[in-house]
Amino acid sequence: MTDLLNELGAEHDQKQFGILDEYSKREIRRAILTAVAVPGYQVPFGSREMPVARGWGSGGLQLTLAVISPSDVIKVIDQGDDQGVNAVNLRRLIVQSTKVHETTTASEASIVQSRHRIPEDGLDEQHILILQVPVPEPLRGVERDMRELARMHAEADYSKMWVSLYEDKVRNGVITQTTGYPCLVNDRYVIATTPIPRWDIPRLDQSPFLTLFGAGREKRIYAVPPYTPVTPLTFEDVPFEVEYTPGANCSQCGSSKSFLVEIPGPASRWVCSDTDWCERNSGKAQ
Amino acid sequence: MGYSAARGGIDAIEAAEKLVRHKRLNADCEWVSPEQIVGRFRLAVDRVMGEAGIWDEQLTAVAIRQAEGDLIEAVHLLRSYKSTLPRFAYSQATDADELQIIRRIVPAFRNPPGPQMLGRTSDYTGRLLELTTEQAGQEESMLLASLALTQELDTSESPASIEETQPRRLLETLREMDLLVDRRRSDDPEPFDITRTPARPPASRSARLSSMARAETGALVNQWYRNILGPDGYVHEVTLGEVRHGYLPLRINHPLTGNAISIGNIRATEVEAIEDLNGIDEQRDRFDIGYGLCLGHNEKKAIAMANLDIACHRDNGRSQLEQSLLLTTDGLDSSGFLEHLKLPHYVTFRSMVERKLAVRDSKNRERAT
Repeated sequence: MTDLLNELGAEHDQKQFGILDEYSKREIRRAILTAVAVPGYQVPFGSREMPVARGWGSGGLQLTLAVISPSDVIKVIDQGDDQGVNAVNLRRLIVQSTKVHETTTASEASIVQSRHRIPEDGLDEQHILILQVPVPEPLRGVERDMRELARMHAEADYSKMWVSLYEDKVRNGVITQTTGYPCLVNDRYVIATTPIPRWDIPRLDQSPFLTLFGAGREKRIYAVPPYTPVTPLTFEDVPFEVEYTPGANCSQCGSSKSFLVEIPGPASRWVCSDTDWCERNSGKAQ
Repeated sequence: MGYSAARGGIDAIEAAEKLVRHKRLNADCEWVSPEQIVGRFRLAVDRVMGEAGIWDEQLTAVAIRQAEGDLIEAVHLLRSYKSTLPRFAYSQATDADELQIIRRIVPAFRNPPGPQMLGRTSDYTGRLLELTTEQAGQEESMLLASLALTQELDTSESPASIEETQPRRLLETLREMDLLVDRRRSDDPEPFDITRTPARPPASRSARLSSMARAETGALVNQWYRNILGPDGYVHEVTLGEVRHGYLPLRINHPLTGNAISIGNIRATEVEAIEDLNGIDEQRDRFDIGYGLCLGHNEKKAIAMANLDIACHRDNGRSQLEQSLLLTTDGLDSSGFLEHLKLPHYVTFRSMVERKLAVRDSKNRERAT
């Protein structure tokens, strides 16, 4: 008995590539296939406990480890920054456990794992974008009961969401939904868009790359396959608005055509949130 | 800088790691062995094993030491370690009647069938901080060790006879008195595996019970106490029928012969809670029973679990109690998500600021017209 366990254990040790055992990876891949087949549908999966805490990218990490192979090149960002502390930690875990190559340049990567941003560089068909999802349920703001939420998605009954957007517009003059803007995928399911800023939403629509959303804590995976329509929920006469501040441009590279974040202070200034893109853009300017 | 937008994230992280490791390994005091932690902090070890869903005292002691005593962190270390291991086998279902008690109390009767056995409990001991000197404590420890060697001190925990080690449970007696709602079912459904399939309401009872068995102890106690002073009122008038702590055999089928073999014992706490039914649609001339069982010696958890099990059954989907139990009691889920608020959120915050200004602009435009 002990010998048999040791034997099985040895076999397991040799095969181990990327923290998760092979059975878990297979299970996650199956959930991914379902998610790709039914765009926007939240597929339940047996989310494993990872060496990072739940809420810290454990869902994204499981997706990356399930799809990664030795020839992949990984880029990991948090808020658009390759050097953000949690991005560094996740990248280190992925690279140490799989020995894949890492990069900060989006075009060199085959897998981009991200929290809260899509890189400014256009991704293409070679890329898989993996987004870490804190709250996968787009309707939670209008309904708390999970049984009712399941019914609403099953029947594509999004009336409460529409009413909520309408009330928002009437009360506030604008739709105040900030990040994670609710979008209709493939004209069927409403999804929570991680929270990426509204700036990134149009870049999901008909995108050439596969986007996978991983919510480790809530144990859900969903996907936007390549060339799938992604439509932000809004009204015919209320155009969808992305973040914009008049006159703001990056104090490093001068761009006004990237997602900017403010550095507050007496002389407030703006910088690109995508640090790698900004660096290359500065190089071009010089 | 170093926290987020700045360069050099890796240096900052490595420095923080080095500091933690250095302070932990190089603390200015004696080294603590896993044996000491198991021997001296058994309730912490038991609690962590229950919440991690793993039975291994040594490994748990190592986790508690590495986590510097943060028990939820220790649970995290153990559970993520478990994720790296494939499953070799499934244990056979063990009948809880096989529990060999080392402690059993029945609050519902003065003289129940079988023993009332206090065992290792400090329930009836005054909570006085022992302010003896370290030297006196060590001398007493050595004296007790020598007495135990010469067997002048009875420290065996198990009673002698089989009637006493595996007493009939009070539930049987209540059944004979025809005082119980009969909820026994004739089929034998496979238990729901919460580690492989996320449990969502409506869920099977096994899904609810296993979620609670792995739940964070404090979270379950709080869910119960919300019924006493908080906004919830699911628990009516519960009397405990059984509170047991003891050993359960663990058997698997041998992978070659297929025969059942015992591979050891685990300790568990088991509780039965008798609920006084008072609902208009309930059998008000009978009682019903809630069940709690968790790894190790953790009576607070098992009692809360048994109370909430019957509460959830009686609620029958009317409220969101089941959702609360299934989804809000896991220690890793709640503390992980709470702590994630420390991560940079400046992209989302920038988007929020932009909307605040947009609302203001809209109001100003309204006023101007």
